[in-house]
Amino acid sequence: MNTMKINLIVNGQSRSVEAPPGKTLLYLLRDDLDLLGTKDGCREGECGACTVLLDGEPVNACLVLAGQVDGREVVTIEGLSQNGHLHPLQRHFVEAGAVQCGFCTPGLIMSSAALLEQNPQPTEEQIRHALVGNLCRCTGYTKVFEAVQHAAEEVDRD
Amino acid sequence: MTELKTVGQSVIRKDVWDKVTGEATYADDASLPTMLHMKMVFAETPHARIRKLETAAAENHPGVVAIFTAKDLPSNVMGMVTQDQQVFCDEKVRFEGDQVCAIVAETAAQANAAAKLVQIEYDDLPVLDSPFQAMESGAALIHEDKPGNLCHQVRLRVGDADAALAEADVVIEREYFTPWQEHAYLEPEAGLAYIDDEGRVTVRASGQNTHDDLRQICAALDLPEDQVRVVYGAIGGAFGGREDVSVQIALALAAWKLQRPVKIRWSREESIKGHGKRHPITIRHKWGARSDGTLLAAKTEVITDAGAYNSTSSEVLTNFYYAAIGAYQIPNVSMDGFSAFTNNVPGCAFRGFGSPQATFAAELQIEHIAEALNLDPVTIRLKNCVRDGATIATQSEIPPGVSLPALIEACANELGAEQKGNGWEMPIVESEKPHKRRGIGMAAGMKNSGFGWGFPEGSEARVVLHGQADIERVELFTAAADCGQGAHNVLAQVAAEALNVPLEVVETVTSDTATIGDAGPASASRLTIFAGQAVKQAADQALEKWHNEDRPAVGGGRWDAPLTTPPDPETGACFNSITYAYGVQAVEIEVDMETGEIEILNIVAAHDPGRAVNPQQVIGQLQGGIIQAQGWALTENFLSQGGYVQTDRLSTYLIPTSLDAVSEIKFVLLEQPDTIGPYGVRGVGEIGILLLAPALVSALHDATGVWFDRIPLTPERVISGLQTA
Ligand code: FES
Ligand code: FES
Repeated sequence: MNTMKINLIVNGQSRSVEAPPGKTLLYLLRDDLDLLGTKDGCREGECGACTVLLDGEPVNACLVLAGQVDGREVVTIEGLSQNGHLHPLQRHFVEAGAVQCGFCTPGLIMSSAALLEQNPQPTEEQIRHALVGNLCRCTGYTKVFEAVQHAAEEVDRD
Repeated sequence: MTELKTVGQSVIRKDVWDKVTGEATYADDASLPTMLHMKMVFAETPHARIRKLETAAAENHPGVVAIFTAKDLPSNVMGMVTQDQQVFCDEKVRFEGDQVCAIVAETAAQANAAAKLVQIEYDDLPVLDSPFQAMESGAALIHEDKPGNLCHQVRLRVGDADAALAEADVVIEREYFTPWQEHAYLEPEAGLAYIDDEGRVTVRASGQNTHDDLRQICAALDLPEDQVRVVYGAIGGAFGGREDVSVQIALALAAWKLQRPVKIRWSREESIKGHGKRHPITIRHKWGARSDGTLLAAKTEVITDAGAYNSTSSEVLTNFYYAAIGAYQIPNVSMDGFSAFTNNVPGCAFRGFGSPQATFAAELQIEHIAEALNLDPVTIRLKNCVRDGATIATQSEIPPGVSLPALIEACANELGAEQKGNGWEMPIVESEKPHKRRGIGMAAGMKNSGFGWGFPEGSEARVVLHGQADIERVELFTAAADCGQGAHNVLAQVAAEALNVPLEVVETVTSDTATIGDAGPASASRLTIFAGQAVKQAADQALEKWHNEDRPAVGGGRWDAPLTTPPDPETGACFNSITYAYGVQAVEIEVDMETGEIEILNIVAAHDPGRAVNPQQVIGQLQGGIIQAQGWALTENFLSQGGYVQTDRLSTYLIPTSLDAVSEIKFVLLEQPDTIGPYGVRGVGEIGILLLAPALVSALHDATGVWFDRIPLTPERVISGLQTA
């Protein structure tokens, strides 16, 4: 199979991978870069478990091809904490009880992180719209909204 | 209540820190060097005899190491209750998700490519895609040894239903239907098998009971239990759908034969086609009541679609012995239930285990009777619901501590209903928009915890106390599966409470058959009660030894639950369950009369967790159950035609999203301690899902005056129902 060399920045580090251009970013992360926090729930852009930030924008990694990420910057759930400190979203997801099985959690947190970057004080309605691409089968979402709101309040105070 | 320190606190779950950083290891996240990759070959046809299985081309594909078929297994059968399913089919396939063989190759891509080269030649057989068709005389047999395609049958007789119906002032006769439901746990099936340091074939997968998986692997591979090991890592949801094995036996076989690690992961489509569903059930009820609303008789027929294999269909139908008449006292009951094999995806366990379907029909019967007699929904329920000392349909007395009457009142009060004279006045709700209407509906229910029906039940645990003067560190061993519901943390809270130590010192060692015996499955709302008692017993024993200066001090073993009895085959009489969860929910909706769209405005959920070990998690379980009920009732339209699943993706099978979630759920938790579980706990895993669907139908009737007998209430169904009414 034809492969190409792909250079990208992942969680702040330059990485270089040899991969077929048609491989998805999801499996580039999981298989080649050993970043397993990004989950495979459907491979068709429906569940959002694979959400990562591509040049700051939330994308479904299962719909992005390796060839498209050459020269670009990717942030995954593993890159969200800074200097060993959890991102406020991570802490508030835990504290609000927004995590049950947790399979949806990395994706939900990445979509929420993108939202807070753009809109530091989102309303519940805005949170709902930002997370519509992230399915969660366990929690009923309410505690997720709470967690995002609490994190927003904390980010705003800082 | 006695003062408790750790039990009753919404402490933070220890296991979730790894889940927010991406470090938690789910089934597909484990890998080993030299690992091979497996691809399953499914039948892809619903009913056929296998004439020829041709694997030569696949075997010759580059990278292919082995192909496993029926002849590789010493005992090629599996099944939770009855072993009626082949691990790899070699004679006949009975649904499209049957497994025929497994390809193992050096890479996943090679295994996938080789799987396409497998040729299966079939002689097609007639496809039976409904239980009614399957039970017709002369229908083709799906299992040759099951005449009439009958999977299971139940018969209950109490009093004289016919005579009582003849004397009733009002008789309501209706037929209800509830559809399949897909679990849609976010983590598709996956696993890794390898030979561990002690030479055991070890399967790391996601399931609901390590020991059930272990027993099925041992039986199929004909290996003693000490040569097999099952381990669970983080589990991405289960809801009953992981009770049956999926990938476990094939993985164990391959790793054992090849003595190399082997991994598999199913796609979403494979998951939806390959694992069971909530049973579609038709319920025909004829109920009679006196003019004052007292229920006199129920005559009921229940027909469930078992799908291609029993899985737990027989046990789900058994639950109807008590559940068919809901949470009510009816002195004369005649109930016949049939579960029929079809060529559809098997019906299996799903949160509620038959109770959501039973509750749907029973609650709507109650509403119809109330309507006929001009009674309000609160009064009719209070008049007939189970209470302390009541005899239920299995002719046994309900275990003491029945909180249902209190919950009905609590829910009504929270809803704003007012007790006036002999009845309750429900709040009147109206939409401000001309094309919309509002309505309120209510439902009450109960759910047994634990298996019951004479099945001996218990749980194992071990507690080890380390330290010198003080207990410095506690090891808690349990095989209880944490599918996301938080069982491990709850059990740690129970241990901390029993030992009077801070939760921080309790370390859980979980879900590994090599370290601890069977806790029983994460099912039937049972772990906090049954595994909880085992943990408490182990902690109490360890503490006694600690006081006797044992260092480390070890306690543990099996806790056996009080016994239940099996149903009498003629009458259904038995002592079926030692403990129940109760709940009452009310919902306010707004329906768009032009589009048929239903919006849930708010929900009141009154529940009794007995004693909430972790109130935040109790609410989490209830919220999760409620939204799954919302999906089942409104958007999840599982379709299968001629034995072929039509909705095998998350883009066609629509589970609720963040936009659908109801933000206004008012929880009322009445804690009335039970006598079976530790510290009075009751099971709350399932009760949350029982009530919303019938409450929604009642609310829709309140809003529009039109009754619906089936779900999902899709806009199309609502519009066509409104038009024909
Ligand atoms: S795996 Fe990418 S959206 Fe589901
Ligand atoms: S916590 Fe399980 S899917 Fe969201």
